[in-house]
Amino acid sequence: MTSSTSEAMRADAPRRRRRYDGAWPWLFVLPLLIGVTGFYLWPIIQTAYYSFTTWGVFGGSTWVGGANYAQLFRDPQLYRSLLNTVIYTAIVLLGVPLSVWLASLLNTPGLRFAQFYRVLFFLPYVAMPTAISLVWRMIFNGDFGLLNWFLGLLGIDGPYWLTTPWFALVAVSIVGLWSSLGFSMILLGSGLKNIPPELYEAAELDGASRARQFRSITVPLLTPSIFFVLIVTIISSFQLFDLLYAMLGTHNAVMPKTMSLVFYFYQSGFITNDKGFAAAVAIFIFALIGLITLFQFRFQRRWVHND
Amino acid sequence: MTELSASVRTRSRRRPSHAWIHVVLAVGGFIMALPFLWQIIMSLSTNAEVQSVTPVFWPAHLQWGNYVQVFERMPFLSQLRTSIVITVIRTLAQIVLCTLAGYAFARMRFPFKGILLAIVLSILLVPSQAYLISQYQIVQSLGWLNTVLGLVAPGLFSAFGTFLMRTAFINLPRELEEAARIDGANPIQIFWRVMLPLARPSISALAITTVLFSWNELLWPLVVTTDSAQMPLAAGLATIAGDVTINYPVLMAASLLAMAPVLIAFIVMQRRVIDGLATSGLK
Amino acid sequence: MPATPQRLTHGRRALIGIVGALGAVALLSGCSQGAATSTGSSSDSSYKAVAKDTKADLTYAVWDQTQVKAIDANLEGFNKEYPNIKVTVSVTPFADYWTKLQTQASSDALPDLFWMNGPNFQLYAANGKLEPITGEVKAGAIDPKNYSSSLDELYTYNKVEYGVPKDFDTIGVWVNKALFQEAGVALPSDDWTWDDFQKTATEISQNLKSKGIYGVSAGMDGQTTYYPTIFQAGGYVVSPDGKKSGYDDPATEAGLQFWADLIKSGASPNMKQLTETPGDQWFVSGKSAMYQGGDWARSEIAAAPIAKDVQAYRLPKGKVDANVIHGVANVVAANSKNKGAAQALQVYLASKEAQQQQGDMGAVIPAYTGTQTAFAKSMPGVNLQLFLDEVSVAKPLPVSKNTAAWNTLETNLLPDAFDGTKSVSDVGKDLAEQMNAALAKEK
Repeated sequence: MTSSTSEAMRADAPRRRRRYDGAWPWLFVLPLLIGVTGFYLWPIIQTAYYSFTTWGVFGGSTWVGGANYAQLFRDPQLYRSLLNTVIYTAIVLLGVPLSVWLASLLNTPGLRFAQFYRVLFFLPYVAMPTAISLVWRMIFNGDFGLLNWFLGLLGIDGPYWLTTPWFALVAVSIVGLWSSLGFSMILLGSGLKNIPPELYEAAELDGASRARQFRSITVPLLTPSIFFVLIVTIISSFQLFDLLYAMLGTHNAVMPKTMSLVFYFYQSGFITNDKGFAAAVAIFIFALIGLITLFQFRFQRRWVHND
Repeated sequence: MTELSASVRTRSRRRPSHAWIHVVLAVGGFIMALPFLWQIIMSLSTNAEVQSVTPVFWPAHLQWGNYVQVFERMPFLSQLRTSIVITVIRTLAQIVLCTLAGYAFARMRFPFKGILLAIVLSILLVPSQAYLISQYQIVQSLGWLNTVLGLVAPGLFSAFGTFLMRTAFINLPRELEEAARIDGANPIQIFWRVMLPLARPSISALAITTVLFSWNELLWPLVVTTDSAQMPLAAGLATIAGDVTINYPVLMAASLLAMAPVLIAFIVMQRRVIDGLATSGLK
Repeated sequence: MPATPQRLTHGRRALIGIVGALGAVALLSGCSQGAATSTGSSSDSSYKAVAKDTKADLTYAVWDQTQVKAIDANLEGFNKEYPNIKVTVSVTPFADYWTKLQTQASSDALPDLFWMNGPNFQLYAANGKLEPITGEVKAGAIDPKNYSSSLDELYTYNKVEYGVPKDFDTIGVWVNKALFQEAGVALPSDDWTWDDFQKTATEISQNLKSKGIYGVSAGMDGQTTYYPTIFQAGGYVVSPDGKKSGYDDPATEAGLQFWADLIKSGASPNMKQLTETPGDQWFVSGKSAMYQGGDWARSEIAAAPIAKDVQAYRLPKGKVDANVIHGVANVVAANSKNKGAAQALQVYLASKEAQQQQGDMGAVIPAYTGTQTAFAKSMPGVNLQLFLDEVSVAKPLPVSKNTAAWNTLETNLLPDAFDGTKSVSDVGKDLAEQMNAALAKEK
């Protein structure tokens, strides 16, 4: 993420009269930094420390060095959870191109009912998770669900979605995709509105087709927003937990084969009360997504259109 | 304004076929809305109809009484008030803190900028609930348990919002800022008069995400408050859902009532965002 | 109250998920408070009845809001005796309840009085978070003889009693008489056996197959399903000293085989079906003729269209007569700032008067012997009395210091045995091995 420094430096290069802007920037960032340090950074530091200890349920810890990490990397469940998380993330990421397309359709000038459509796509995002995941469970129910009824009409014998390995992961991913689409579309929508309409007018005068305009104006100018959505989607997909828990429940034998990294963390820390080990899992997740995000920042210059 | 609407007019006059766009959006929108349609039906059914394993797609009698029961089963209005209060506070705070910091990270030069940004972003990388006990202890030592301050405190600061606003500011043209600087405006003035209005679409995106985060947040309010009348709606809903025998129709009705204010706010805001955009498009 | 929310109607798991879980993860971080790890057998509690005009603000934490009305009624009576003790009832849904409690315990901010269940009890007792009731017992304010000895045993750790049971649950078989008639199968007799049960269930499934109706469905969790049959087969789940798993014991395996046989013969839906659509839901929708479940299914069943055809039966007899009992207890926090007042409330809630009121208001079966008649009469002609009678043969729900660790193993491993994917003895050995490792970690 240090790339942002160099990126900022590069952008500022032409007027490098002074290196820094003095006290002003601190006035802008300090209020946030103080809160972040107190409420978030400090707990992370504590977690990092505890990952080298065995940690009692209600406090009290003993230093054990790297034992938790050694145990972690020997545990096959770690790799299965990692694989599940990656698959989930990949499926949810399919929503990014989809939402670019849908957002640009919604933004078609002169489109009637655009507001109405926008509300429809926004609905899943407003849903109260407590209630809506119940509805999804009913839809995916193997014996009596809407989905298998529909597949039955097509002559397909649907599986027990929520209790069969792989299918359970796919079902959860579909709901994940469903609920993240509206969110991505809002972010991309605000990016689309930042594109000057004159560009389209000029293109229209040049006789460019709508598809051509999409490819040569919309997508390139939207890349900063797309980049943002990608980063946020990956980070949040790697945090998959509540949806998984809500859709499958803890009393489901498919869980070990479907669980995500964060669920693995939860199970170690909360169910089996091995908190030092769970801290190691949290730090592993932290390092892993940190690396992925760093990589994305490094890579962005190749495709993200800045300015 | 005139330019934009003129362009809209010329294009809609030619009306390149929108038909397939409507088909795509209508089908997509229907899939999006399907679970909610079912939820509405369930909220008007009896519990036995919802529980029946061969799904009852339409209730024998519409049970409007389920909506009345919501108000008997949970302190809906006082929880609604709590939800509104904490959501408004957090949204305002995040808009102020995140736009300020986002602007500095996007456009200002100061030592350790990259590292500080990385630190802010890194708080998104840890399983979010890993913060609970520490945050609880901080709020406890500040004496904020069972207060509005305690409810809102950690949610005032957002790494996501900062990142969002940084992205927004980075993508704004530099010329206006330069012009203002040459006119002798100080950074606060530049930020307030020039940059903030330009970032309005992103600020509304930030507002929407903050509102939803705050509205649906569950665990934190449950942990820092003892009296259920002081809890927000999401927590009240969870309490209904936690009954040994769940009344599904009432739960569905409650959840629809609880999401309604946000949906209405979105519909209203959407208009304002688009209007705001049309005017800012002039500059 | 079931010990864990295992009797999840569809969605209940979901809820726990969303509701709690998101949050529940949270427990990382947090400072070591140098938690008192006095292991259990700490000295007697100090108990001295506080003056009637004591002034205090108490928090009483519970997880079931449907019981708040009855609690409020109790508090009214309490405030007649202690007018200056103000009690706030704090309701937190089950899954979040434990997250919140752990957070509070780690910060020395536990509620003054709160609900405790069997699976979590030893964890809190062993870490010195609970105030023993020994002082109150010695002073004669609480008499454990008023409760089932199994419940007393459940809330005793290292020979010290910590909690006063407020209610209890036992298990029975709920029967849909109309479906028996439809299948042309005779109703069971009161002294039916495992064989009768298997035969009846299989016959109903065969006769009503075209309608998709099964003979039996169950929750497939420990408390309602396989713990009772394990005990009836003469097996055990965890040894009395809490060190050894019983799952490699042949008698225990016989208790598991009972359910594997029912699924194999088609008498019961299979594990996938019972996970996606829980047993109680099959029953209340008229899709299974029998449901083995707890007394708490009563309110759900009473509200279902099949209610008029329902009759409750005691569990069929295995090698021995056995059942499983669990109940929620009221416990006082060891670090409560208002310990005297909290104990006064604990004592009041344990009184016959308060328990009678609980029973009459009908949310639960109160624990105090002799206050339960209102429960038995709540569904006339259904024979709810059996749930009370079963107390005499019921064993406490098996728990240890870190119960949840091996509960997870049961959930993950046993379905293969029930579904016949693997043999019961293979799964039993595997489970016993892993469970022993988990028990060894408890120390």
